[in-house]
Amino acid sequence: MEHILELQQVTKAFPKSDFTLDRVSFSLPYGSILGFVGENGAGKTTTIGCVLNTINKDSGTVRLFGKEMSDADTAMREKIGVVYDGDNFPPYWTARQLSQVMAGLYANWDHALFQKYLEDFRLPEKQKIRHYSRGMTMKLAIAAALSHHPQLLILDEATSGLDPVMRDEMLDLFLAFVQEEDHSILLSSHITSDLEKVADYIAFIHNGKLLTTVSKNDLSYRWAVMRCRESQFSALDPADILAYRKRDFQIDVLLPDGREALRKYRDAVVDHASIDEIMLLLVKGERI
Amino acid sequence: MKGLFKNNLFVVYPNAKVFAIVMLFFGVFTAVVISPSLLIGYVLLGMTGFSANALAGLGKEYASRWSRYKLTTPVKRSDIVKSYYISQILWLLVGTGFAGAAIAFSTALHGFPFDKTTDPFMLFVVGAGISLFMSALFFPLFYLGGEERSEVLLIVSLLGGVGIVMGLSSLFNTVFPHMNVPQLILCGTSILACALLSFLFSCPLAVAVFKRKGF
Repeated sequence: MEHILELQQVTKAFPKSDFTLDRVSFSLPYGSILGFVGENGAGKTTTIGCVLNTINKDSGTVRLFGKEMSDADTAMREKIGVVYDGDNFPPYWTARQLSQVMAGLYANWDHALFQKYLEDFRLPEKQKIRHYSRGMTMKLAIAAALSHHPQLLILDEATSGLDPVMRDEMLDLFLAFVQEEDHSILLSSHITSDLEKVADYIAFIHNGKLLTTVSKNDLSYRWAVMRCRESQFSALDPADILAYRKRDFQIDVLLPDGREALRKYRDAVVDHASIDEIMLLLVKGERI
Repeated sequence: MKGLFKNNLFVVYPNAKVFAIVMLFFGVFTAVVISPSLLIGYVLLGMTGFSANALAGLGKEYASRWSRYKLTTPVKRSDIVKSYYISQILWLLVGTGFAGAAIAFSTALHGFPFDKTTDPFMLFVVGAGISLFMSALFFPLFYLGGEERSEVLLIVSLLGGVGIVMGLSSLFNTVFPHMNVPQLILCGTSILACALLSFLFSCPLAVAVFKRKGF
């Protein structure tokens, strides 16, 4: 399988804040969406910074379109669209001024497409960005990221300021984007329901370490949570336990294969695991 | 680079517009009133003011995530820095244009407003020297010290620019206690050359600091 983005053992230490992005490795195949999940400060934005070279990594390799991107690889950055959380653009600009600057930066800037997005998203072209709502600034950033025909979209909490209706529209837009088989999206988000809807793969990061990367098919149809008592828990095969968390009256156990567990442990109660629950178990739970 | 120049213009333009309007009215007033000291003040203000305004815009730009976003676009870090340096030269030329127009207008109304014919040249040297030294100091300091200190770094750079020009003037006054016209022109040209050289050498230094910076 060919990958549009590959990270291998990417490490970046911040001695002042005592945070280290610790040997993060994952890959994003062409034509797919990878959801990047983790709590605040887990290292999502730092990882994205290492991918985009806005942060100089200490070690490891990041391959985009099959090769490492240096500062001089401007042609490679033509193929990447980026949306950060919050104020992506100077607030005293208008959308028109933004388009003029972008047209000078990107060889493939499509002003007509940008205009179409402005109309579709109902964004006034002549109004200063500072007068936009948070949702409008996010929509503007998404419009700008798509208007130079990128192959890879890197979205850092891009849907966080949007209402549910607009979020749904954006997710449909992202799904349409990856219909082209050479297009992919790296989508970092706190809103796990968004990832459940669109992501093909989910990467969980916690405290600078990548916990696991799993396909959504595995996550939906194989991964499960067993609710058991102490006596049932002690009878479990450790190889079946990804993580567990003791609650007041039960122990929640994250399993890599729910159906297999039902066959193996006949009295067990096994539920479908949501991304939220998996994240909680991986982050707050214990490992064997 | 075209996009970077547009970016630099849009960042500075709102404040530059206000400053240009004020300078226009002040310029007319300065030219109408017969006061060489007011005219000297106007020339120096014009030549340094537009440059200082452009430097202040840099801090404003870094207040949003745009500074980080820009690094994800198809431009090199060295080109971002170079575009700022070239923009500074253009703003210096705008300031020089305002200063020259005021002198020309005043001359047309009242005759030559200075004591010596070399005075406008020396004024230009001082104005351009302060502006170039200020910019040469500001950019590396800005990338080194961080955007949150841009205001104090601008003041430090401005004072540094004034200090260096005054220091060089004092040095030349000591070397040539009774300057004749050729010596005056030599000293002025030397100050201008020093300012230009420091401006040119500052650019790769700022690029080197900026390349190491993470956003």
